[in-house]
Amino acid sequence: MKILVTVKRVTDYERKVKISPDGLSLVTEGMNFVPNPFDEIAVEEALRLQKAHGGEVVVISIGHKDASKEIRQALAMGADRGIHVIAEELDPDAVARLLMKIVEEEKPELVIMGKQATDDDANQAGQLLAGYLGWPQATFASKVEGLDSEAEKAQTPGVVIAGGEATVIREIDGGLETLKLKLPAIVTTDLRLNHPRFASLPGIMKAKKKPIKEVPVASFGVDITPKVRNVKYAEPPARKAGVKVADVAELVNKLKTEAKVI
Amino acid sequence: MTANGSPPWLELARAILGEDGLLTDPASLESYGRDWTKVYAPAPCAIALPRTTAQVSTLLRLAHTHHVPVVPSGGRTGLAGGAVAAQGELVLSLERMRTLHPVDPIARTVRVEAGAITQAVHQHTAAHGLTWPIDFASSGSSQVGGNIATNAGGVRVVRYGLTRQWVIGLQVVLMGGEVLELNGALEKNNTGMDLRQLFIGSEGILGVITEATLKLAPLPRESRVALLAVPDLRAALTLFGAARSAQGFELLAFEYLTDLCLDVVLGELGLTSPLAQRSPAYVLVELEPPEGGGDGAEDRWLEGLFATGLVSDGVLAESLAQSRQLWSLRERISETLSKRGILHKNDISVPVAALGDFTAAMMEAFQGAYPDFEIFLFGHVGDGNLHVNVMKPAHLEKAEFFARCKGTDALLFKLIRAHGGSISAEHGIGLLKKPFLHYSRTPAELRIFRGIKQALDPEGLLNPGKVFDRIEGVVS
Repeated sequence: MKILVTVKRVTDYERKVKISPDGLSLVTEGMNFVPNPFDEIAVEEALRLQKAHGGEVVVISIGHKDASKEIRQALAMGADRGIHVIAEELDPDAVARLLMKIVEEEKPELVIMGKQATDDDANQAGQLLAGYLGWPQATFASKVEGLDSEAEKAQTPGVVIAGGEATVIREIDGGLETLKLKLPAIVTTDLRLNHPRFASLPGIMKAKKKPIKEVPVASFGVDITPKVRNVKYAEPPARKAGVKVADVAELVNKLKTEAKVI
Repeated sequence: MTANGSPPWLELARAILGEDGLLTDPASLESYGRDWTKVYAPAPCAIALPRTTAQVSTLLRLAHTHHVPVVPSGGRTGLAGGAVAAQGELVLSLERMRTLHPVDPIARTVRVEAGAITQAVHQHTAAHGLTWPIDFASSGSSQVGGNIATNAGGVRVVRYGLTRQWVIGLQVVLMGGEVLELNGALEKNNTGMDLRQLFIGSEGILGVITEATLKLAPLPRESRVALLAVPDLRAALTLFGAARSAQGFELLAFEYLTDLCLDVVLGELGLTSPLAQRSPAYVLVELEPPEGGGDGAEDRWLEGLFATGLVSDGVLAESLAQSRQLWSLRERISETLSKRGILHKNDISVPVAALGDFTAAMMEAFQGAYPDFEIFLFGHVGDGNLHVNVMKPAHLEKAEFFARCKGTDALLFKLIRAHGGSISAEHGIGLLKKPFLHYSRTPAELRIFRGIKQALDPEGLLNPGKVFDRIEGVVS
C-alpha cells in the first residue's frame, strides 16, 4: 500500500512567537522550527500501517527550502522518500490544490495529514484536498485505547485497513464515532491517535541516503495567489496580577462576591 | 514555664517574630520537621519564620541565651536528614526571606535572600540571558540557602561544577546573633582565609545563611539531547572520554542509567521506550553547540558514535518537547523507584578513572552476599557520581531489610575507601551518613571539623547532631 504523508515546517510551539511591529506577520528570524506535531502523528500512523501491510511511505512538504530538515526527520523515523515543493508561505487552498497534483501523479491509496498545523491552526488542507479529489475523508482520527494502553505500546495502528476499506475512529462531543471509508481516502490525525517515535541514530544515518525530490512550485501550473489575506495579529490580553488573601474566610468571600463561582 | 505551659523564651521569640512568625500547630511541626529522607520522626518544638536578617540575628541571640537548639531549614528536599528536627529543636525556616534583588548584568551577579526558590532565581535571571547554573530535579522546591549549605550538585556539574563555584558573597548569622558579611561582591579578594567557603557545604552546623551574592553564567544555548544505548558502565565511561575530547561542542550533561531503572520509569509512567531495542544500559547526553550555532559538530559526533560502534543505538530529540521527554526518563527515576518499593539509597563517588573497576567489584560483592537484592544504578557518571539504590525484596520485612542493608553499606563503603572515593557525593552527611563519615574522612580531618565547630558554636546548639555527634559545650 502506498501512503502519502504531509509534513509542515512550523515554529516550535514551545517558544513564544513575536509579532512584527506592523502587526501583519509573525517574526520568524531566530525562531526554532519543528515538524508540525500533528504531522508527526500522521508519519507514525503511516509507518505502523506500512509495517502491517507493506508498501511505501512518501513524505511531502510544501514550504521553505529549509523544510528539507523536517522531511529528513520523517525519513529518519522510517519513511521511504520525500517530495519537497519549495514555496513561500501559502494558504490552505493553494496547498490542497498542489497536493491534488501530487496525488494524481503518485496515486496513493491513502493520504494521512495532521488535522491542522500548530502555526496557523487553519484545519482546512485535508478537507479541501478530499473535496478537490472527490475522495472520502475521515478527520480527527483517534484511538479507542488510551495512549498508555498495551495496544499503543505494541505500536498497533489506530486506523484499520481491510478489504479495500479504512476504519477510522474519531473523537466527537460526548463520545466516539466510527467511520468506514472506501480507499483511496484522506485521513487527518488528532492528538490521541499515537505517540510518534523518536528519530534513531541508525535511522538518521539511513535517512541521509534516502531521496528527496525537490520541485519548484511554479512547475505545477497551479494558481497559488492567496485567497485569504492576514489583516492583523494581536497578542492575547495580558493576565491581571493575582491578589493575596489573608485567610480562608477572605478567599471564600472573594470567590462568592467577586469571582462569583460559588 | 509561662501560664499556658510554653517556656518563656518561646514568648520572647513570638515577640521578635510577630504572631504569624511562630508556628506550633501539629501539622506545621510535622511538615517542617522532616526532609525527603522520611526516616526520622519529626519532633520540633516550634517553627520560626523570620522575615529579615535582623530578626534571625535577634532570634539566634535569644536561642543562644536560653540554650535552645536550632535547625536551619530551607526547601527540605535534602536526602540525608540535614534539615530534620527530631529532638525538640526550634526550626528556623528561611522561606519568608525570598527577595530577589536586581540582576547586575555587567558583573553577572545577583543578590538574593536565602529562602529564594532555586527555580525562581533561574526565572529571574533568564530575562538577562543569564542563569545560576545549579540545577536538579527538585529545583522547584529547593532554596538557595539550602543549595549553598549543602554545596548542591545536580545534572550540570560536568559543565559548571558545584554550587561552591557559583557563590561570590555570603551573609551568615552565627549562633550568638553576630552577622557576618563574607566577601561582598568581590570576584577577587586575596586577604586571608576564605571564610565564605567554610560555610558552603557546612550543612547548617556553623551558621545560618541569610543572603548570598550569586555568580551567573550565560544561559546555555539551544542544546542537543540524545539517549544512547551502551552495553555497560565501562562502555559509558569510554563514551564519556570520547565526548570530553571531541571538538566543536560543550558537554552539558552526561547521565548514566541501567535498563532496570528505565524499566521502572516506563512501567510506572505507562510509557514506551524511545529506543526500538532495549539495552543493558543507557547514557543521556546534552550537547551545547558553540556560540553562533556552530556547524553541526554535535550531530556529526553523535552519528559517528553509531558508525564506530561506541553505541549500539540511540535517539535524538528534535524539539524542546522531545528533549524534555528524554530528560524525564532520567529525572523521574528516583520518584518512580520510591513508588515501586522501599529503597535503601547511597550516593557515592569515586575518581572517574576508577569508576568502572569499582562498580564491577561492587556488583560482584553484592551478587555474592545479597543475590536476592535488586540494585538500581544511575547517576552523573561524568563526575564519578553513582546513585546506588537497593530495593527491598518482597519476601523480607522492612526491619530485616534495613538491618541487612547495614551489611551492604559496610561492603560498599570499604570498596569506596579502597578506590579513593566518597560515601556521599552530593547528598551530604546529615544524620543518615554520620556513622560512616570515617570511611571518607581521616581522624585528623574529623578533629579539625570539631575544632571549627567549637570555635563558631561552642555550645553545639546549631543543627546539633548533624555531620558528627553533638559536642556538649561548656555553658557559660
